[in-house]
Amino acid sequence: MGIWGSLFLLFLILISAYQSFAKEGSAEELNEEFTEGLLLRPLADRKVLAHFHFQSSVPPTRTYGRHHHLFPKSIYQLIKKFRVREMELSFTQGRWNYERWGGYDPISSSNAKPPGVELWAIFDVPLDQVDASWKNLTHALSGLFCASINFLEHSTSYSAPQWSFRSFTGKLRYGTLPREAVCTENLTPWLKLLPCRDKAGISALMDRPSIYRGYYHSQRLHFTSDEYDTAKSNSGIMLEQTLTVVLQPNTLGARAMVSGKTLQPSWSLSSLFGRKVHGKCSVSKSSNVYVQFEQNLVSELKEVWKESEESERGILTHNNFWTNPIFEMSASPHRIVKEVGNLQQEDSSILYEFSVEDFNDSEPFDLGLKWKLPVAWSCQQAPLRASRFLMGSGNERGAIAISLKSSRNNNTQRVGCSENGSQLRIDIFQVVPWYVKVYYHTLKVFVDGELQSTMENIEKMHISSSEDKVSPGVMEMILRLPCGVKTAALTLEFDKGFLHIDEYPPDANQGFDIPSAVVSFTDFQASIGFEDNFLNKLPILNELQERKHVICYTEVLLVPLTTPDFSMPYNVITITCTVFALYFGSLLNALRRRVGEEERLLKSKAAKKRGPLTSILSKLFAKLTGRPIKPPETQSASPSSINYKVIVKVILVAGMAVGWQYYFR
Amino acid sequence: MIYPPPLNLVQFSFLAISEQYLSILTQTPIRLINYRFRYRSPPPFREIDDLSTAIESSPILFPCHFRAVFVNFDPNSYTADQLSISVQAHMAKFAAKNSPACGTCASNVTVSVTLDSNSNCISNGNNVDWKCGALNEFKFAEKHEDGLLDEDFASLLDNNSGAKVYTVVAVKTEQEEVRAVVGKYRHAWIMGRIFEEEAIEKIAEIFVNVFMNGGKEEGLIHGEFMPLGADGRIVLSFNLLNADPHNWIYDWDFQEIDENLLSPVIDALKPLADVSVESQVLYHTPKSSFSFWDDRLDSYIFSTKDLPFFVNSNEWHLDTSVAAGGLSKILQFVVYVPSAKECPLQLQLPNGEISTTNGFISPMWGGIVVWNPSACLTDSKIKHPLRYKISSEDSRKLFEVFMGQLRQLFGLKSDGLFVGASGTSILLASERGFSEWELDVLSRQHSCFNLLQCGTTLGSLSRLVQSLPRMIIMDDIGKQVKYSLEAARLTLSNALLGIYDASAESSRQARLLAEDAFYHPSMMSVSYYSFEHCFAVYSPFFLPVSLHVLLAVLREWKRYKQESKKYYAWKAK
Repeated sequence: MGIWGSLFLLFLILISAYQSFAKEGSAEELNEEFTEGLLLRPLADRKVLAHFHFQSSVPPTRTYGRHHHLFPKSIYQLIKKFRVREMELSFTQGRWNYERWGGYDPISSSNAKPPGVELWAIFDVPLDQVDASWKNLTHALSGLFCASINFLEHSTSYSAPQWSFRSFTGKLRYGTLPREAVCTENLTPWLKLLPCRDKAGISALMDRPSIYRGYYHSQRLHFTSDEYDTAKSNSGIMLEQTLTVVLQPNTLGARAMVSGKTLQPSWSLSSLFGRKVHGKCSVSKSSNVYVQFEQNLVSELKEVWKESEESERGILTHNNFWTNPIFEMSASPHRIVKEVGNLQQEDSSILYEFSVEDFNDSEPFDLGLKWKLPVAWSCQQAPLRASRFLMGSGNERGAIAISLKSSRNNNTQRVGCSENGSQLRIDIFQVVPWYVKVYYHTLKVFVDGELQSTMENIEKMHISSSEDKVSPGVMEMILRLPCGVKTAALTLEFDKGFLHIDEYPPDANQGFDIPSAVVSFTDFQASIGFEDNFLNKLPILNELQERKHVICYTEVLLVPLTTPDFSMPYNVITITCTVFALYFGSLLNALRRRVGEEERLLKSKAAKKRGPLTSILSKLFAKLTGRPIKPPETQSASPSSINYKVIVKVILVAGMAVGWQYYFR
Repeated sequence: MIYPPPLNLVQFSFLAISEQYLSILTQTPIRLINYRFRYRSPPPFREIDDLSTAIESSPILFPCHFRAVFVNFDPNSYTADQLSISVQAHMAKFAAKNSPACGTCASNVTVSVTLDSNSNCISNGNNVDWKCGALNEFKFAEKHEDGLLDEDFASLLDNNSGAKVYTVVAVKTEQEEVRAVVGKYRHAWIMGRIFEEEAIEKIAEIFVNVFMNGGKEEGLIHGEFMPLGADGRIVLSFNLLNADPHNWIYDWDFQEIDENLLSPVIDALKPLADVSVESQVLYHTPKSSFSFWDDRLDSYIFSTKDLPFFVNSNEWHLDTSVAAGGLSKILQFVVYVPSAKECPLQLQLPNGEISTTNGFISPMWGGIVVWNPSACLTDSKIKHPLRYKISSEDSRKLFEVFMGQLRQLFGLKSDGLFVGASGTSILLASERGFSEWELDVLSRQHSCFNLLQCGTTLGSLSRLVQSLPRMIIMDDIGKQVKYSLEAARLTLSNALLGIYDASAESSRQARLLAEDAFYHPSMMSVSYYSFEHCFAVYSPFFLPVSLHVLLAVLREWKRYKQESKKYYAWKAK
């Protein structure tokens, strides 16, 4: 009885515990959430990277309902109307400098975007409706973001990559507008999607002049939705908005020098943005600022520390670290997060977390970083550095070359290779507009300067060649290169096409843009793992932790095409009209003339006053021609002959007129 | 002998030819252009004009059927026919006061009268299915609840014939007070110690002013501005605005409101409009004008003259994207939660009183309600703002205000009382927001104004096409115009038959098709050949030519003058 009683009690406890757990779980699930975060990272070339991250999430409509409290209405309406499963839109100004700002970290892989606008979307509609949905989506987005995204509507400007860009097939559409200018009119609607806009919280730092003064500016909007998934387990809609800027800290006066080396510039939030954070956005769940020190910087700091003072290791996570001899932070971090899982290196990157929750108007949050000793480091590079350029000259033909160069830092490359035999896998995705007619059979692969047979190095290739005025050319390929490769290059020849006069954009002489190619290294994962499991709940760290391929974008190419003389029709009109006018004028003159009368007039004039000059001239003329001086004729040609000539002329004109009329009927 | 020079024949012929030549040069491109820009399917101008004149000359009037039932009146004083005639005479008197508005009843009003007294039951008219003596079972003294009485009358008057008959039952009882109540369905009743003449006048007034005109009074929104989109859809967009989330954050459970309170209203409006609902909560949305503190009222006062500056369109992102809204009309309903700085915020009426609903409407835009949190006066120096939820009781109250505002936006009364010349009548409010006779009024007006809109749209389309003879008219547009005209004709015939729903439906279609034709993309890009362009092209020809011609004319003129001078000199000699 006692056993049964205790068992029953246990059972009850279990049930109640389970129920409470289930309740908690459902309560947690059925809420909209908004979080904000800012990541700051000193860059090796004396600049500072600022990465704003905002995330709104909604549980699925089926369980939660369709009325929202934090989530932007317009995005939900877009998803609902066009049944978008996933979409990413980015507005970028400037080019991410992979060499100096890094190419192997999560931020460069997911937030380094091609200049202009890039949009891709995956739809949840039948295959034959995807294009229509895309067109409507581009129009809706261009209205929403005050940008000319609607130019992506034409089938010549978007493509459907099969496998290289994303693993989804069929329902993905991808388009870029390399020449789209990005400015505040695009940022304001983007901010409108945040519950606090730029009125409070971290987004209040977005002072327009400061963030557009930077070297790189990329504003991104990405959402995933499984509203229309048939699968039961779905997580609702997740909207992620990021703004990545690279800023140059204001170094007043000359650069500070310590022992012959230049000091890294010191900065603070107010010097970078001209504003301070006055507390968090009231509806956000978490609101943190992070300062990240890269792996290389950490090891460098340790070196410097060792040089200056023989002290214990791990100073950077020491309690009093922010007053250490190398640098100084103006506030004490709430937490220090260390990277884990990076086994191949003893040093790992460090995140200092600051919470802005406890700050208010009277006591704003202004984080500052001050360097005391010179430190120099280099950032982590992607295994190969990709760049693309044009070859050839003239307006007829040329060639596109994609060159891949091994970066100086060989560590990462070694790692990737050891995992994957002796081959390095590179995915390339390139879209070329139809007026650049690429001959794909001319594809040549050079490895370390030597021409290789293409079949040897290309594992998989998919080409959909361009169709004039219908679709662009798409090239997707997987390249396998030997591990120790120093340089590799791909070349493709092309002919330049002709456009109809209506198809030229304004300022056609500037040239035409070929959108960036996407080069991804699928063997390499750009992610930073953190030790604390609790951190999984912070979206900004989740973004860093997410396992993604290392991706980089190549340069946008500018192809000069033959442009017609746009004023030609008017020139032709002007010339023809002038010729006609001349003819008409002379004809009119000839018809109006009374030859007899004029001659009489001339004669009388000559008789009246034959000045010395005219007589001398006539004498001279006579001598030159060798004819005797004739007195002016008294009798002009007979009137009948004049009439005859005039009539012939008139008939000629009439004939021409009649001919013209019949010819152009 | 010198004569004044005659224009010789050659020159004359030359001028003629050159003219012809010029005409060839100038007219060929124009002719080509004319050929290109001619419309392919000319819209039926005549029929459009006929329609618009027909609509504008006489507003559409529907036939209406009324029925008056006199219970317990003396059967010997009046016959049914006499009563019917006198009711009609009174109705004509009331109708004459206000000119026949669009969507009201035509002159072919039928009034049938039933006299039901204890002994006998007399009726005129054919279609009368009043159950005689049925009311005798009722104990009126016991039934004071209007809602219950309304249901009883509804079961009594339940007619399955489908025709919409409006009934007024006049019951003579011993009660001193005379009550006139208009029910939720298509009937009203008058009860009390009342005489025939009085009852007749009251009945006629209820027929004309309530059932026919919807109980409208001066100053209410005119029916022409019915908030309905061209496609007959309405989006009700509910917004909760937290002016300053630093003080407090309010949230609501709109899902619950939507399911429990809003869905019956949407169902009720279904024959009239397709209503969809959306909601959002916004933060950091201050109003754009200031309020002032009033010690007497112990609150911040916002006066009526500042109301146009209440809506802050810079900060209030109420907009719905076209992708979701389309052509439908979007009505915004805003709950404004003031910040702690101006917390008990009250709206002041022009007469100095405080608004009881604390809200206002803006026609065709929507309505705003200021909702003061109960925690208003507590200390606002909290570091972290508190999150509250508007209680379901409060949200029910808010919703009631919104319902009143929605009714006002549709041009209906929101206070439930009709004050007429012959006394006040109570209008019973339906839990569905709109009672059946109100919906009838709305659908009549809706079809009428849709048809007016359709007529003006088609008329302006035909005027536009006629004024731009070079414009392309696609076949689609011609077809749409044709279908629109057909739907308009169908509306007219349905209106004559008195089928309100069908005529509303077809009028909506007519208007939608007309709007579609007018806003067709090919119409928007009207590419007509400008005359200035022609001038620019030919000026390189005409300028030099005109120079030659001018010079020649000048020379001829000079010579003519010289010669004539000589001639006159010779003549004088």
